[in-house]
Amino acid sequence: MTQAEGASSNIYDLGYQGYEGPRLGRPAVAFGLLTQTLRAAYGIGRGGRAKIMPFLMLGLSVLPAILAVGIRALAAQAGAGDALEEASPIRHDTYQNLTATLVMLFCAAQAPELFGRDQRHGVLPLYFSRVLTRIDYTLARAGGLFLAIFIISIVPQLILSLGAILAAPDPLTGLRDDLPEIPRYLAVSLLASALLGGVATVIAAWTPRRAYATAAIIAVFIVPPIVVALMAELAVGDLARVLVLASPSDIVDGVNAAVFDTVSPNPTIVAAGLPGWTYIVAALIETAACVVLVLRRYLGITA
Amino acid sequence: MPLVVTSALTKRYPGGVVALDSLDLALEPGIIGLVGANGAGKSTLLRILLGLLPPTSGEATVLGHDVRTAGTTLRRFVGYMPESDCLPPDTTATDFVGQMARLSGLPAAGARERAAEVLRHVGLYEERYRPIGGYSTGMKQRVKLAQALVHDPRLLLLDEPTNGLDPAGRDEMLALVRRTGTEFGIAVIVASHLLGEIERVCDFLVAIDAGKLIHAAPLHEFTERTGTLAVEVEEGAVALAAALVAAGITATVDGRTVLVELEDERPWDLVRDTVADLELPLVRIEQRRRGLEELFR
Repeated sequence: MTQAEGASSNIYDLGYQGYEGPRLGRPAVAFGLLTQTLRAAYGIGRGGRAKIMPFLMLGLSVLPAILAVGIRALAAQAGAGDALEEASPIRHDTYQNLTATLVMLFCAAQAPELFGRDQRHGVLPLYFSRVLTRIDYTLARAGGLFLAIFIISIVPQLILSLGAILAAPDPLTGLRDDLPEIPRYLAVSLLASALLGGVATVIAAWTPRRAYATAAIIAVFIVPPIVVALMAELAVGDLARVLVLASPSDIVDGVNAAVFDTVSPNPTIVAAGLPGWTYIVAALIETAACVVLVLRRYLGITA
Repeated sequence: MPLVVTSALTKRYPGGVVALDSLDLALEPGIIGLVGANGAGKSTLLRILLGLLPPTSGEATVLGHDVRTAGTTLRRFVGYMPESDCLPPDTTATDFVGQMARLSGLPAAGARERAAEVLRHVGLYEERYRPIGGYSTGMKQRVKLAQALVHDPRLLLLDEPTNGLDPAGRDEMLALVRRTGTEFGIAVIVASHLLGEIERVCDFLVAIDAGKLIHAAPLHEFTERTGTLAVEVEEGAVALAAALVAAGITATVDGRTVLVELEDERPWDLVRDTVADLELPLVRIEQRRRGLEELFR
């Protein structure tokens, strides 16, 4: 305690200083929890080992983009022109499919950490006895996870865009060529992050045990596509076609194909032959359902 | 402004368990002990006061704020130390208490400063930079207290703060609670099933049992002198009692002690004179205080 502080305080003159500074409102506190969640999803503020998995996933997901941009730049220098670009399998419309597994693994690793931890260690009463409501807490945590997934999904696309702009003979031409793609990959990344993040959040929120939650999330992403594909094999007909909409990972493939107006490399999507918009609607509805479910969990949980 | 006011506050859990039964309280700032056996409704009352749990019926206000409608407002001014474990083992005390400060609305810089200061006040120094998982129970309890204090609340709700502590740890925690109430100028409600501990730190006592209020009064009223004089002699207790009864005073023998009813001022002199006349080896004469435990008999 400095002399000046001592002189100005006459009540707490035994060393304890009250807090006279500013106090932020609920929106600011919720935003603070959201950013803290986003940081925690990448292991920032959680020690070295917590950073390995998220940054490995992020690194692997941008790797193809960096390679593609590098090869393209070299090819352009060697005078290959657009030929290589057109032949390249690494494009805005194929990227979602390339990194889908990584994004799912990221969800499976980080959602249980973000949602199970507070439950396992009984920290929830401390959160709920502060400024935030249970709804604030839930939305801030879920929002943080969503942003973390969105980053993994959008950063490589941005690198591709940047590469396209820089590799073009004239950056403006490059930008003009790439511009129509930007809203498309934004839409795909938003919908995919929301749906996959939402599903992972619901499972993690209801399964405090981390290992179980991780296994359950992986199962929900991997098992339904197999079941759907099997049903299609067995020619169950219309049921199998609609069943695609119960498989989050297939929905994401469908959304990507619909938004980029391409044929999906996922045979289940091709076989189902559903109109593209159904996947988009399914993604929106299922994300909303996830939000409702996770809110119900946190409104009902004892804390 | 009254600290806490409740009227006909009732909490019935699903399944029919009545945790609080029409509780009426009016508490002024101070160090308030909330005593009762396990399951008496102490934790339920604290959680209702925080707005964590909705009451089934009745009203409650904390610092003038309705617990049903103004939860987020009143929680700015209230710190809560739950009974259960609530600390993530992989975080350092500094980081954790800082995060809790931010969740109470302190900006980042202020949160860091307050976390450091509060941890110092509860007696955590270098160890605050280590993960909480490696802490002793005593250190964990201090972190729990620190997180409740970090936003400089006007009311602190402590649920069994000495749980799991050894005798030395209990003494330290009780001293901290006492200091919080006196030096820090923060009102404290401390729930405990241990009367002996509560007695040492509180000015005011609220005793509840099975969700019902037994008594709420300043501590000295609980422990005020009763109308019994205890006279302990090494021998001759029976003779003393007989002599006193012969003099027209109600006296009973309890081992080496003669219990004398103080209906008026007469026994004081009479006891002295009788003991002197019989030449009894007197150990002590004391006016009995009512034990807190009697409340729950």
